[in-house]
Amino acid sequence: MAEERIGVFVCNCGTNIAKMVDGAAVVKAATEMPGVEVACAYKYMCSNPGQELITRDIRDHGLSRVVVAACSPRMHEGTFRKAVERGGINPYFLEMANIREQCSWVHDDPAAATEKATALTRASVQRVTHHQPLEKRSVPMCPATLVIGGGIAGLTAALELADADQQVYLVERQAQLGGNVARLDLTAPYLDSARDLLRDRVTRVTRHPGIQVLLESQVVGLQGFVGNFRPTVKIGTGELLHLEVGSVVVCTGYQEFDATRVRQYGYGRLPDVITSFELEAMLRRGKVETRAGKTPRHVAVVHCVGSRSREFHPYCSRVCCMTGLKYANEIKSAIPEAYVSNLYVDMSAFGKGCEDFYKRTAEARTIFLMYEKNQAPEIRLAGTDPEGGMLIAMKERLSGEEIEIPSDLVVLMVGMEPRRDSDEVARLVNISRDKDGWFIESHPKLDPVATTTDGVFIAGACQAPKDIPDSVAQARAAAARILAKIHQGMIAVDAVYAEVLEAHCSGCRVCNELCPYTAIEYDEVARRSHIISAACKACGCCAAACPSGAIQARHFTDQQIFAQIEGVL
Amino acid sequence: MAFEPRIVGFLCNWCSYTGADLAGTSRIKYAPNVRVIRVMCTARIEPTFVLKALSEGADGALICGCHPGDCHYVEGNYKTMRRFAALKRVLRTYGIEEERVRLEWVSASEGARFAEIVNDMTERTRKLGPSRVKVQRAADTAAR
Amino acid sequence: MAVRMNPGLVDDLARYGADDVTKCFQCGNCSAACPFSQDPFIFPRKPMRYLQMGLEERLRSSLEPWLCYYCGECSVECPRGAEPGETMMSMRRWLTAQYDFTGLSRLFYRSWKAELLAILLVSLITGAGFLTFGFLRGGGDLSVYDGPGAFLPAGAVHVFDWTMGGALLALLLVNCLRMWRFTMGGERRPRVPAGAYLRHLLLLPWHFFTQKRYAECGEKRPWATHLVLMLSYVTILVLVMFFLRDLQFGPEIRWSVHALGYVASIGLITTASLAIRGRLKKDAPYHKHSHESDWAFLVLLVFVASTGVVQHVLHRAGLPTAANVAYLVHLMGVVPMLVVEVPFSKWSHLAYRPLAMYFARLQAEALAARAGRPAPEPKPQLAT
Repeated sequence: MAEERIGVFVCNCGTNIAKMVDGAAVVKAATEMPGVEVACAYKYMCSNPGQELITRDIRDHGLSRVVVAACSPRMHEGTFRKAVERGGINPYFLEMANIREQCSWVHDDPAAATEKATALTRASVQRVTHHQPLEKRSVPMCPATLVIGGGIAGLTAALELADADQQVYLVERQAQLGGNVARLDLTAPYLDSARDLLRDRVTRVTRHPGIQVLLESQVVGLQGFVGNFRPTVKIGTGELLHLEVGSVVVCTGYQEFDATRVRQYGYGRLPDVITSFELEAMLRRGKVETRAGKTPRHVAVVHCVGSRSREFHPYCSRVCCMTGLKYANEIKSAIPEAYVSNLYVDMSAFGKGCEDFYKRTAEARTIFLMYEKNQAPEIRLAGTDPEGGMLIAMKERLSGEEIEIPSDLVVLMVGMEPRRDSDEVARLVNISRDKDGWFIESHPKLDPVATTTDGVFIAGACQAPKDIPDSVAQARAAAARILAKIHQGMIAVDAVYAEVLEAHCSGCRVCNELCPYTAIEYDEVARRSHIISAACKACGCCAAACPSGAIQARHFTDQQIFAQIEGVL
Repeated sequence: MAFEPRIVGFLCNWCSYTGADLAGTSRIKYAPNVRVIRVMCTARIEPTFVLKALSEGADGALICGCHPGDCHYVEGNYKTMRRFAALKRVLRTYGIEEERVRLEWVSASEGARFAEIVNDMTERTRKLGPSRVKVQRAADTAAR
Repeated sequence: MAVRMNPGLVDDLARYGADDVTKCFQCGNCSAACPFSQDPFIFPRKPMRYLQMGLEERLRSSLEPWLCYYCGECSVECPRGAEPGETMMSMRRWLTAQYDFTGLSRLFYRSWKAELLAILLVSLITGAGFLTFGFLRGGGDLSVYDGPGAFLPAGAVHVFDWTMGGALLALLLVNCLRMWRFTMGGERRPRVPAGAYLRHLLLLPWHFFTQKRYAECGEKRPWATHLVLMLSYVTILVLVMFFLRDLQFGPEIRWSVHALGYVASIGLITTASLAIRGRLKKDAPYHKHSHESDWAFLVLLVFVASTGVVQHVLHRAGLPTAANVAYLVHLMGVVPMLVVEVPFSKWSHLAYRPLAMYFARLQAEALAARAGRPAPEPKPQLAT
């Protein structure tokens, strides 16, 4: 192999790296590494002048390989690949050494940090000599979309796409559309009708020529990759439908927390302790009453049931505070002489119109009682008669008093939790879940609707507890992303995949069963295995398993990794 | 001078490498003894990588992947678990202490956990002392 | 021991003027703004919380509402418009009704019609009574104002005054005892030794006569105005109770007595009129809200003072019949004013507030002694 001419570029990242890693020392050490033609440091390598520096040096020094020692490749690998490409060489002739997130930011001994940075740079230098030129591929993008879930998020995404003249398949497991919003009476903070909100959408979706609604249906398989997915849907009759789509939007929503788990609230034991959804049903019927059919005079609404708790779920379910206020208002208007108390931990009035809503609810003579997060109130019967009312015992924080609240009806604001089958859904579409079971977005701040699997988007409460405005916003965001891709027409697929070196393949077929994407097929005639590169996701498990070493994981070859191991030690 | 173990880390891109980056953005401090090599999935890691590392003088090898059930490539980490069990048996026959090679699950949100694992492994490896392979290599080089 | 909530308490206090208390979200800005709120008496926040939560027993045993002089700074600072100042005032009205064993105070505060009716009724009975007396047992002749043949002889009026005064005082004292029982009795209160009661006894007249704490509240003007009003009233009271004969003496003027009377009358009418004007113009935070009992008090005061002046002027002008009529009208104002106001309404604060200041000091000392700390000196904490 011809001598490679390697350029090493060390970034100081202002003081982020320079504070702990001696850039000049790394540069000096780099100049002595075999193959290094030029080495230098710069304060912000990702900036335009920084990138220019790389591009220029490639041309001026005839560099054939580039090493950038800077932040994490997850941050700027794309940036530097483009700079390298502008310098006239293949973008895959770049290797980055992570001397920030995994070095300068995490160590407090400058000498040790500099030594480690040097080692990581040397590993990259040795690895990059073995890099191969790789070409990007493009595949056509199928413009149809699969939307999983017919709740408010799913309906919104479907309409947004279909209104832009794209084909949508909307799969809903229940017999009707609407999801959890269909169980509501009014919405907070403006107290408008959920029914009206939904009716309009459901009608448009059902009538839309661009949307094929599949009720009582479930997605049972998803093959393929971005732009070319092949979902299998089991419809109501049991028949299997095979579809072709380019993108998938997951809008499977949430389920409510099971209140029987909080024993001290007596849900399930005491007849007049109900959940928020049970109250919604009452409100939709137009009558708020106890199990015995009496009009309650004292109603208590308990916040944070199953949420913000060491024992159940540590997170906040976001919507319950304003919904609790909504109930205070609705009950007062249904039963003007009733006394309503809201038992809360903190009042989360974060959204538009919410602080005003809180004030109006207080003006309506709602009593607000504060309890401590891990000292939940206890609900019991006032006497022996189950129809004789209840007493709620709690330690009230704002007064410091232990009090007893007489109540005829108690409403538990049950939190949101991931659906029972969310792990199945995650595995089906190949996305991850976080420690609480919600689907993980690509970036919590900058990319809330995409996932680590290209072409699969998430929207609505399945990603995290959220209210209707945010679910709609996310659904529209996902639709917009998909429309942008459809507009481009082609999908760029990564050049990194695995391939079988046919000459070395012994036809043992060990790899065939290993691929989770069934991208490896066996050619009976040639008695060799063959990888469908378009379907390959480059995980490398086949390469690791091949006894003959016939499978090469491009850009992660044995040779490259061995070189890296040698360099790092 | 105190013995500073040198450990090679193999981190999968989607979970553990991201988790290690998170430790960085959170400025959590940990020992500088682990040097990381990024792979797309722990399933890429052949046992020979670990053997190569040990033979090049590493005192330990740390493999970090996604939690079972959460692998970006569906089941890569299960394959790694099986291979790792086989690797451990091989190492035993070579007389290399089991604690020098470790398989951990680190998710993208577990920056602090990554730091803890690095610190813990550094300490354990420090107590084990330099690897016999490294010592032998040094002796061989000196003899030549 | 858990306390039972009575959610209806808020509705009850609304009748006494506390319309906005549910708006309070317990931020504590009011207590921070208050110059006198300090451990162990935090107000207005704590009594407002008791009210919101319907902890009737706790509110009834609170001294905090009486430790306030209604400078109104708390209402200015309240971010929610919960009117803590007026709420405290409403609590004072409610507490007055609680201390009163007859139930009349409660009736008058909750229904202005009842109060008006009572005033008119007492007024008419007074008028009828004195007229009858004047014709039957007095001089009999409406045209005789002074001397032994006076229509309303000073001696008789004097006896009446003292009888009525004694009765009202007795009523008030019983109510004060009830106040003691509510605020100082009960297991939650610290035990105050008898010696402490004696040691701090001088606090009572001190607060009663000077209202010095009011002066340290912020602005001095409200304190000064109130002090003049009070001293004017006390002057007239002393003159009437002890020097009625000299006041009514004629035809020569006992200037030494009358001079004091003139000064006091001017003081009374001026300050009461200023208060009425202030309430009409809502010129200060403490004048923004006026309950019917506030108006009743001021109107009666101005009426009584004016009729007093009028009857004196008529007397001096040599119009004895007119003077007698004016005197009768004057008495028809004085009697209902005292009967309604002193034991049952706003005037009762003349006893309750000094008592509260006294009790508060005793409790603070007892609490501090229990905790092994020195007693806190009640100093104003004014925001700089």
